[in-house]
Amino acid sequence: MTPNEATVPVEAMTPDMELELDARPENIAIVRHAFGALGEAYGVGAQTLSDIRLAITEACTNVVVHAYPDGAPGPMEVRASLLDDELAVVVRDHGPGIVPRPDSPGLGLGLPLIASLAESVQLGHDDDGATEVRMTFLLSDDTREQS
Amino acid sequence: MSAREPLPPGGRESPEGRESPASTGGPVSLRLANGPLAGPVLCRVVSMVLARAACPMNRLDDAMLVCDTLSAHAPAHSGDGHLAYTVTALEHGLELRIGDLAQDGARRLVDDADVPGVGNVLERVADDLRIEPSGRELVLGLSFGASQPQDSAG
Repeated sequence: MTPNEATVPVEAMTPDMELELDARPENIAIVRHAFGALGEAYGVGAQTLSDIRLAITEACTNVVVHAYPDGAPGPMEVRASLLDDELAVVVRDHGPGIVPRPDSPGLGLGLPLIASLAESVQLGHDDDGATEVRMTFLLSDDTREQS
Repeated sequence: MSAREPLPPGGRESPEGRESPASTGGPVSLRLANGPLAGPVLCRVVSMVLARAACPMNRLDDAMLVCDTLSAHAPAHSGDGHLAYTVTALEHGLELRIGDLAQDGARRLVDDADVPGVGNVLERVADDLRIEPSGRELVLGLSFGASQPQDSAG
Protein backbone atom coordinates (compact mmCIF):
# COMPACT_ATOMS: atom_id res chain seq x y z
CA MET A 1 0.00 0.00 0.00
CA THR A 2 1.39 3.37 -0.96
CA PRO A 3 1.23 6.38 1.36
CA ASN A 4 -1.46 7.92 -0.82
CA GLU A 5 -3.96 5.16 -0.27
CA ALA A 6 -7.07 5.27 1.78
CA THR A 7 -5.87 4.91 5.35
CA VAL A 8 -3.90 8.15 5.31
CA PRO A 9 -5.77 11.43 5.82
CA VAL A 10 -5.56 13.76 2.84
CA GLU A 11 -3.72 16.44 4.80
CA ALA A 12 -1.01 13.97 5.81
CA MET A 13 -0.40 12.63 2.33
CA THR A 14 2.56 13.53 0.20
CA PRO A 15 0.98 15.29 -2.75
CA ASP A 16 1.40 13.88 -6.21
CA MET A 17 1.91 17.39 -7.51
CA GLU A 18 2.97 20.55 -5.71
CA LEU A 19 3.36 23.95 -7.29
CA GLU A 20 4.71 27.03 -5.60
CA LEU A 21 4.65 30.29 -7.50
CA ASP A 22 4.40 33.99 -6.87
CA ALA A 23 0.80 35.07 -6.49
CA ARG A 24 0.69 36.95 -9.80
CA PRO A 25 -2.15 36.92 -12.31
CA GLU A 26 0.01 35.47 -15.08
CA ASN A 27 0.94 32.52 -12.91
CA ILE A 28 -2.66 31.34 -12.72
CA ALA A 29 -2.29 30.16 -16.32
CA ILE A 30 0.60 27.95 -15.29
CA VAL A 31 -1.54 26.32 -12.62
CA ARG A 32 -4.34 25.78 -15.13
CA HIS A 33 -1.98 24.17 -17.59
CA ALA A 34 -0.45 21.98 -14.92
CA PHE A 35 -3.89 20.68 -14.03
CA GLY A 36 -4.66 20.20 -17.70
CA ALA A 37 -1.65 17.92 -17.90
CA LEU A 38 -2.66 16.19 -14.68
CA GLY A 39 -6.12 15.56 -16.05
CA GLU A 40 -4.76 14.11 -19.26
CA ALA A 41 -2.29 11.93 -17.40
CA TYR A 42 -5.02 10.55 -15.17
CA GLY A 43 -7.56 10.25 -17.98
CA VAL A 44 -10.04 12.67 -16.42
CA GLY A 45 -13.05 13.40 -18.60
CA ALA A 46 -13.26 16.75 -20.34
CA GLN A 47 -16.21 18.12 -18.34
CA THR A 48 -14.78 17.09 -14.99
CA LEU A 49 -11.40 18.51 -15.90
CA SER A 50 -13.01 21.74 -16.97
CA ASP A 51 -14.78 21.99 -13.61
CA ILE A 52 -11.57 21.24 -11.74
CA ARG A 53 -9.62 23.85 -13.64
CA LEU A 54 -12.33 26.46 -13.18
CA ALA A 55 -12.55 25.86 -9.45
CA ILE A 56 -8.79 26.02 -9.06
CA THR A 57 -8.65 29.16 -11.17
CA GLU A 58 -11.14 30.78 -8.81
CA ALA A 59 -9.19 29.71 -5.75
CA CYS A 60 -5.93 31.00 -7.21
CA THR A 61 -7.57 34.23 -8.29
CA ASN A 62 -8.68 34.74 -4.71
CA VAL A 63 -5.07 34.36 -3.63
CA VAL A 64 -3.83 36.83 -6.24
CA VAL A 65 -6.51 39.40 -5.51
CA HIS A 66 -6.94 39.11 -1.76
CA ALA A 67 -4.03 37.40 -0.05
CA TYR A 68 -1.35 40.04 -0.46
CA PRO A 69 -3.12 43.36 -0.84
CA ASP A 70 -0.37 45.63 0.39
CA GLY A 71 2.67 45.01 -1.70
CA ALA A 72 4.82 42.46 -3.40
CA PRO A 73 3.15 39.16 -4.19
CA GLY A 74 3.74 36.37 -1.76
CA PRO A 75 3.71 32.66 -2.41
CA MET A 76 0.80 30.73 -3.85
CA GLU A 77 0.94 27.00 -3.26
CA VAL A 78 -1.19 24.39 -4.97
CA ARG A 79 -1.12 20.73 -4.02
CA ALA A 80 -2.93 17.85 -5.64
CA SER A 81 -3.29 14.28 -4.45
CA LEU A 82 -5.07 11.44 -6.14
CA LEU A 83 -6.88 9.15 -3.76
CA ASP A 84 -8.68 6.29 -5.47
CA ASP A 85 -11.33 8.04 -7.54
CA GLU A 86 -11.01 11.38 -5.80
CA LEU A 87 -8.71 14.30 -6.48
CA ALA A 88 -7.88 16.42 -3.45
CA VAL A 89 -6.57 19.90 -4.14
CA VAL A 90 -5.30 22.44 -1.63
CA VAL A 91 -4.65 26.06 -2.57
CA ARG A 92 -2.60 27.84 0.08
CA ASP A 93 -1.33 31.30 0.77
CA HIS A 94 0.28 33.17 3.62
CA GLY A 95 -2.03 36.15 3.68
CA PRO A 96 -4.35 37.33 6.45
CA GLY A 97 -6.98 34.71 5.79
CA ILE A 98 -10.45 34.76 4.30
CA VAL A 99 -12.10 37.77 5.86
CA PRO A 100 -14.85 40.16 4.74
CA ARG A 101 -13.41 42.90 2.59
CA PRO A 102 -15.69 45.87 1.93
CA ASP A 103 -13.38 47.23 -0.76
CA SER A 104 -13.16 43.92 -2.58
CA PRO A 105 -12.74 44.36 -6.33
CA GLY A 106 -14.47 41.05 -6.97
CA LEU A 107 -18.13 40.11 -7.15
CA GLY A 108 -17.96 37.59 -4.35
CA LEU A 109 -18.79 34.70 -6.61
CA GLY A 110 -15.54 32.79 -6.31
CA LEU A 111 -16.19 30.64 -3.28
CA PRO A 112 -19.83 29.86 -4.19
CA LEU A 113 -18.64 28.85 -7.64
CA ILE A 114 -15.99 26.59 -6.16
CA ALA A 115 -18.61 25.07 -3.87
CA SER A 116 -20.85 24.32 -6.81
CA LEU A 117 -18.07 22.70 -8.82
CA ALA A 118 -16.29 20.66 -6.16
CA GLU A 119 -17.54 17.64 -4.27
CA SER A 120 -16.45 19.28 -1.03
CA VAL A 121 -14.81 22.52 0.03
CA GLN A 122 -13.15 23.41 3.29
CA LEU A 123 -11.71 26.76 4.25
CA GLY A 124 -9.22 26.99 7.04
CA HIS A 125 -5.68 27.37 8.23
CA ASP A 126 -2.78 25.00 8.36
CA ASP A 127 -0.73 24.54 11.53
CA ASP A 128 1.74 27.11 10.23
CA GLY A 129 -0.99 29.70 9.76
CA ALA A 130 -1.30 29.37 6.01
CA THR A 131 -4.76 29.98 4.61
CA GLU A 132 -6.08 26.94 2.81
CA VAL A 133 -8.90 26.20 0.45
CA ARG A 134 -9.30 22.45 0.31
CA MET A 135 -11.33 20.97 -2.49
CA THR A 136 -12.14 17.46 -3.53
CA PHE A 137 -13.39 16.33 -6.91
CA LEU A 138 -14.87 12.98 -7.78
CA LEU A 139 -13.26 11.20 -10.68
CA SER A 140 -15.87 8.54 -11.13
CA ASP A 141 -15.64 5.89 -13.79
CA ASP A 142 -17.93 7.75 -16.13
CA THR A 143 -15.72 10.81 -16.05
CA ARG A 144 -12.55 8.95 -16.87
CA GLU A 145 -11.74 8.48 -20.48
CA GLN A 146 -10.38 5.25 -21.76
CA SER A 147 -6.69 5.73 -22.27
CA MET B 1 -12.53 53.35 -31.56
CA SER B 2 -8.92 52.34 -31.30
CA ALA B 3 -7.49 48.90 -31.71
CA ARG B 4 -5.89 47.30 -28.73
CA GLU B 5 -2.17 47.64 -28.70
CA PRO B 6 -0.25 44.40 -28.42
CA LEU B 7 1.51 43.88 -25.15
CA PRO B 8 5.24 44.53 -25.33
CA PRO B 9 7.45 41.55 -24.55
CA GLY B 10 7.33 41.01 -20.82
CA GLY B 11 4.06 42.83 -20.28
CA ARG B 12 3.00 46.39 -19.66
CA GLU B 13 4.67 48.68 -17.25
CA SER B 14 3.25 48.71 -13.80
CA PRO B 15 1.26 51.72 -12.60
CA GLU B 16 4.35 52.97 -10.86
CA GLY B 17 6.01 53.36 -14.23
CA ARG B 18 8.69 50.75 -13.86
CA GLU B 19 8.89 47.55 -15.84
CA SER B 20 7.11 44.94 -13.84
CA PRO B 21 9.11 41.92 -12.76
CA ALA B 22 6.00 40.04 -13.82
CA SER B 23 7.74 39.65 -17.15
CA THR B 24 9.18 36.45 -15.75
CA GLY B 25 6.56 35.75 -13.11
CA GLY B 26 9.23 34.59 -10.69
CA PRO B 27 10.49 31.06 -10.29
CA VAL B 28 8.06 28.18 -10.42
CA SER B 29 8.70 25.38 -8.00
CA LEU B 30 7.22 22.06 -8.94
CA ARG B 31 7.36 18.82 -7.00
CA LEU B 32 6.10 15.73 -8.76
CA ALA B 33 5.62 12.15 -7.73
CA ASN B 34 7.25 9.63 -10.00
CA GLY B 35 4.61 8.23 -12.26
CA PRO B 36 2.28 9.35 -15.00
CA LEU B 37 2.32 13.01 -13.96
CA ALA B 38 6.04 13.53 -14.23
CA GLY B 39 6.41 14.07 -17.94
CA PRO B 40 3.20 15.87 -18.92
CA VAL B 41 3.18 18.35 -16.07
CA LEU B 42 6.87 19.22 -16.36
CA CYS B 43 6.57 19.80 -20.10
CA ARG B 44 3.47 21.96 -19.72
CA VAL B 45 4.92 24.11 -16.99
CA VAL B 46 8.23 24.62 -18.75
CA SER B 47 6.51 25.43 -22.03
CA MET B 48 4.30 27.99 -20.31
CA VAL B 49 7.24 29.68 -18.66
CA LEU B 50 9.15 29.74 -21.94
CA ALA B 51 6.20 31.06 -23.89
CA ARG B 52 5.87 33.92 -21.47
CA ALA B 53 9.55 34.62 -21.81
CA ALA B 54 9.19 34.97 -25.60
CA CYS B 55 11.36 31.94 -26.24
CA PRO B 56 11.91 31.23 -29.95
CA MET B 57 10.41 28.05 -31.34
CA ASN B 58 13.68 26.21 -31.89
CA ARG B 59 14.67 26.58 -28.26
CA LEU B 60 11.18 25.68 -27.08
CA ASP B 61 11.61 22.47 -29.02
CA ASP B 62 14.99 21.94 -27.38
CA ALA B 63 13.49 22.53 -23.98
CA MET B 64 10.80 19.93 -24.61
CA LEU B 65 13.51 17.47 -25.58
CA VAL B 66 15.22 18.17 -22.28
CA CYS B 67 11.94 17.72 -20.40
CA ASP B 68 11.26 14.43 -22.15
CA THR B 69 14.74 13.24 -21.31
CA LEU B 70 14.35 14.24 -17.68
CA SER B 71 10.95 12.68 -17.28
CA ALA B 72 12.22 9.47 -18.85
CA HIS B 73 15.34 9.09 -16.73
CA ALA B 74 15.13 11.26 -13.61
CA PRO B 75 12.58 9.16 -11.68
CA ALA B 76 15.10 6.31 -11.54
CA HIS B 77 17.42 8.58 -9.58
CA SER B 78 14.98 10.27 -7.22
CA GLY B 79 15.63 10.05 -3.52
CA ASP B 80 12.12 9.60 -2.16
CA GLY B 81 9.79 8.94 -5.04
CA HIS B 82 9.43 12.60 -5.86
CA LEU B 83 11.46 15.10 -7.85
CA ALA B 84 11.66 18.81 -7.26
CA TYR B 85 11.98 21.12 -10.23
CA THR B 86 12.52 24.85 -10.16
CA VAL B 87 11.89 26.64 -13.42
CA THR B 88 13.13 30.20 -13.69
CA ALA B 89 12.79 32.40 -16.74
CA LEU B 90 15.78 34.66 -17.14
CA GLU B 91 16.14 37.66 -19.40
CA HIS B 92 17.37 35.58 -22.33
CA GLY B 93 17.09 32.06 -21.13
CA LEU B 94 15.78 29.51 -18.72
CA GLU B 95 17.24 27.82 -15.69
CA LEU B 96 15.91 24.42 -14.74
CA ARG B 97 16.95 22.86 -11.45
CA ILE B 98 16.25 19.23 -10.77
CA GLY B 99 16.50 18.40 -7.10
CA ASP B 100 15.63 15.72 -4.57
CA LEU B 101 17.84 13.31 -6.48
CA ALA B 102 19.50 10.41 -4.75
CA GLN B 103 23.16 10.51 -3.78
CA ASP B 104 25.15 10.98 -6.99
CA GLY B 105 21.83 10.98 -8.83
CA ALA B 106 22.64 14.12 -10.79
CA ARG B 107 25.70 12.57 -12.44
CA ARG B 108 23.84 9.36 -13.14
CA LEU B 109 20.99 11.29 -14.67
CA VAL B 110 23.40 13.05 -17.03
CA ASP B 111 24.98 9.71 -17.89
CA ASP B 112 21.56 8.28 -18.72
CA ALA B 113 20.97 11.04 -21.25
CA ASP B 114 23.63 9.58 -23.49
CA VAL B 115 22.11 8.31 -26.73
CA PRO B 116 24.29 6.08 -28.90
CA GLY B 117 25.07 7.74 -32.18
CA VAL B 118 23.65 11.04 -31.02
CA GLY B 119 25.59 11.96 -27.93
CA ASN B 120 24.44 13.23 -24.61
CA VAL B 121 21.12 15.00 -25.07
CA LEU B 122 21.45 17.18 -21.99
CA GLU B 123 25.01 18.20 -22.75
CA ARG B 124 24.21 18.95 -26.36
CA VAL B 125 21.06 20.94 -25.81
CA ALA B 126 21.80 22.82 -22.61
CA ASP B 127 24.13 25.80 -22.72
CA ASP B 128 24.98 25.32 -19.10
CA LEU B 129 25.03 22.08 -17.18
CA ARG B 130 26.35 21.72 -13.70
CA ILE B 131 25.99 19.44 -10.75
CA GLU B 132 25.72 21.03 -7.33
CA PRO B 133 28.34 19.89 -4.81
CA SER B 134 25.79 17.76 -2.99
CA GLY B 135 25.48 15.58 -6.09
CA ARG B 136 21.72 15.65 -5.60
CA GLU B 137 20.86 18.61 -7.76
CA LEU B 138 21.36 19.18 -11.48
CA VAL B 139 21.19 22.66 -12.98
CA LEU B 140 20.52 23.17 -16.67
CA GLY B 141 20.59 26.47 -18.49
CA LEU B 142 19.09 27.16 -21.90
CA SER B 143 19.86 30.44 -23.60
CA PHE B 144 17.84 32.03 -26.33
CA GLY B 145 19.47 35.40 -26.61
CA ALA B 146 20.45 37.12 -29.82
CA SER B 147 23.75 35.28 -29.95
CA GLN B 148 22.08 31.89 -29.72
CA PRO B 149 22.61 29.84 -32.88
CA GLN B 150 19.35 29.09 -34.67
CA ASP B 151 20.18 25.43 -35.13
CA SER B 152 21.46 24.73 -31.68
CA ALA B 153 20.30 21.13 -31.60
CA GLY B 154 22.35 20.30 -34.62
